Amino acid sequence: MSTANDLVKDIRGLVTLPHVYIQIGRLVEDPKSSSADIAKAASQDPSFTLRLLRVANSALYRFPSAVETVAKAVAIIGTSQIRNLALSMSVASSFEGLPNELVSMDNFWRHSLLCALTARHLARLIGRCDPDALFTAGLLHDIGELIIFNRLPEQAKESLLMVLDSDEQIQVHQAEQKVLGFDHGDVGGELAREWHLPPLLEECIACHHDIARSRHHRRETALIHLANAIAIMAELNSLDPLDVPPFDPAAWELTGLTPDCIEPAVREAQAAINEVERLFTGRQ
Amino acid sequence: MRPPLPPALQGFEHVRRTWNDSQEFYSARILPGEYYVTRSDEAISTTLGSCIAACIRDRVSGIGGMNHFMLPASTGAESDSWKAAGLGIGTRYGNFAMEHLINGILRNGGLRQNLEVKIFGGGRILANMTDVGMRNIRFVREYLKMENLRLVAEDVGDTYPRMAIYFPASGKARVKRLRSLHNNVISIQEKRYVESIIEKPVAGDIELF
Repeated sequence: MSTANDLVKDIRGLVTLPHVYIQIGRLVEDPKSSSADIAKAASQDPSFTLRLLRVANSALYRFPSAVETVAKAVAIIGTSQIRNLALSMSVASSFEGLPNELVSMDNFWRHSLLCALTARHLARLIGRCDPDALFTAGLLHDIGELIIFNRLPEQAKESLLMVLDSDEQIQVHQAEQKVLGFDHGDVGGELAREWHLPPLLEECIACHHDIARSRHHRRETALIHLANAIAIMAELNSLDPLDVPPFDPAAWELTGLTPDCIEPAVREAQAAINEVERLFTGRQ
Repeated sequence: MRPPLPPALQGFEHVRRTWNDSQEFYSARILPGEYYVTRSDEAISTTLGSCIAACIRDRVSGIGGMNHFMLPASTGAESDSWKAAGLGIGTRYGNFAMEHLINGILRNGGLRQNLEVKIFGGGRILANMTDVGMRNIRFVREYLKMENLRLVAEDVGDTYPRMAIYFPASGKARVKRLRSLHNNVISIQEKRYVESIIEKPVAGDIELF
């Protein structure tokens, strides 16, 4: 029987951390480097440059004037956020080498982006979390699912059937635990460790279904937990809590948010999704 | 406290029933091509992609049930006059599904003049697919009109798969939209069902009441 760790080892070479993310990361951590160095590294990859400028000029950032150069984009977005952005912008293409027959990539990334948008919106509301980091966490929160679907398709299908057979009383991650002994949070968390992603991302990915397990980034993890269910509401165009996985009451407490925030968050994500989908999944 | 499992009506003993813990009811779960009729206070549930579930009950006695079907795509073998009338050979499967359910209700004491109907499903859950969901919706609406059956509620079409839970005793139905994560598993199930009915053509008689 495999473990979450085995699966992540299995996909080495099939999915790799985006090169531009590694380079920018190295520079961000190097005290001797300047934002000019970072801009230069970002400029090495023409398709990244193009998409970075499109993002910088999109409604996502709402800058008052046009952002025409990478240097200006880096200056405005900030050197530490540019690293998250590099990861967010490349992760969809990184996972193209890991196809599966259970969920279309379009549908998978649509949910991830709705969660990312919602997480960013909620982070801005509460004011004590980094909205850009939460955007990336939202985008990556289900990444373990793509690995499970690709490596263990039969068991993954069995888990999804179990969810439907239970009239959704059993959630996907619970079915995975029953069938596999671990869930997509565990696998995503392992991948985050393998990739040396920041601990905040690792914890949000690993614990978004079980926020009691989070230790150091409890508020952020709780926020991703809420954003996940709100993203499903946005997808289903429903405000009925019975249509989506239950909200853990502890998540409201940890974030200081109340259910009043749900409807505006759903509307905001729905309004932004089409543009963001073009920006982040590389579709024109 | 969980009450004892109510007895299943004759012919429906094979349908799996489970206890719903959070909402405290028994639910009989039907798959594509199946149907279930009950006189007890229990639910019937199913998961729908482009298939249709018709929920029918005698609104006086509360005897009722649910089916789950779809029309297979036209094979091209049917006559032109059928095609012109929009009645491909596939509609036979729809007729069978509807008549089986209605006859099951009448056989167990339901009265035709008391029947009321709810219909769910017919979603377009896969992109780039001919809209078989719409074809199923059109069929069932036409069927109800021809049979003069009263449609009291529907939730059909759109792009979502659905979970339908129906309580024949009260006539209440709950339809839950399902996220796209479930699209492929549901359409694999439906595809397998369509292949099985194409391999095994329907034959023989329907008892009419």
